[in-house]
Amino acid sequence: MESQAPRVTVEGFDGPLDLLLELVEEKKLDILTVRLGDLADAYLARVRAMAALPADEVSAFLALASRLVLLKARSLLPSLEPQREEDAESEEELRLRLLEYAIVRERAGQLGARLRAGERAFHREGGTVELPPRGGEVDALALAFGRVLALAARQREEDIVAPGERYSVEQRTAEIEALVAAQERVTFATLLAETPTVGFAVVTFIALLDLYRRGVIDLAQDELFADILITRREATSDRI
Amino acid sequence: MTRSELGRIAGGTPRAVENALAELAAAYEGTGLRLQRSGDEWQIVTAPEHAPQVAAYLGADRLRLSPASLETLSVVAYRQPVTRAEVEAIRGVNCDQTFYTLASRRLIEERGRKEAPGRPILYGTTWEFLECFGLQSLDDLPRALSPEGALVLEGAAAPSEPG
Repeated sequence: MESQAPRVTVEGFDGPLDLLLELVEEKKLDILTVRLGDLADAYLARVRAMAALPADEVSAFLALASRLVLLKARSLLPSLEPQREEDAESEEELRLRLLEYAIVRERAGQLGARLRAGERAFHREGGTVELPPRGGEVDALALAFGRVLALAARQREEDIVAPGERYSVEQRTAEIEALVAAQERVTFATLLAETPTVGFAVVTFIALLDLYRRGVIDLAQDELFADILITRREATSDRI
Repeated sequence: MTRSELGRIAGGTPRAVENALAELAAAYEGTGLRLQRSGDEWQIVTAPEHAPQVAAYLGADRLRLSPASLETLSVVAYRQPVTRAEVEAIRGVNCDQTFYTLASRRLIEERGRKEAPGRPILYGTTWEFLECFGLQSLDDLPRALSPEGALVLEGAAAPSEPG
């Protein structure tokens, strides 16, 4: 059992207790009964291979090594036994530490196995979800979309049809003249109808100016931007 | 969410809340969800059986820990609240780095200070720890060797770690 050639790399050990435990298990010894001093040589052989490690890490290994050597020395020379009791860790204390560490390592192994199995839980991420405000009109969206469609249709009409080709001032004048003759008064808004194109509005307005110039109608507006009222002028009396 | 919070909102006694929580836990059995308890904090989480699917959906990476970190984590988990010096005494090595790693991954957190010389910081595990290991509570921690053995060793650990 003396000075086995180290066959495990130093990096494989996680501290001096890990190495000591490894030796115990390697030799199939029982932690409860093994004479820890007997492991001193094997332990030192492993530590000797550690020259490449940082000094502070090696020192921890050396501290345990010296303890093991001391335990071995005591077992060989029982006369050393009573010396400096409180300073050094007794074999039993070291044994207990090793036992405890063995439990830790086993538990760590179990936790690691759980981690590798990947059977973890997940919580719900994030805060509250932003919901649209309540109490809005149910068909508000449909209405809004309807308006957009109407706008788009109008836009298309203006793009495609040149106003001059579609409406003529003469034709519009005749239409308005007939309308006024029939119902005496009419508003500009009525003439423009629901959704006038710019061209239609311009033609209608010019037709009105022309009718006014010819003395067919009177124009009145109560205030700025108010609707324009168109009334038929009694032309017949003038002519007679 | 804590039990007292639940009681305040639902207007029930702690006992009633306890019963309701037990009922809820039973109702979740066999579904994709379950209750997780950390101290007095309760939380609804996904069941670990479905972790592969949930992880795929979330694009979550699997947590990886070195053996050293796992050892430190296991000591903190089973011994909490515990100081770093106590963990180092048990593992026989310096644990600065592993404590830093575990804390930055939110697996352990500070739990106040120990009434001892220097008032060292005490550490415990987080609810993220339970989540990552798929534990419903700390009672779910895997048992190793004999629990009595751990108790016997509790007082005997000699923290005489030279430099």
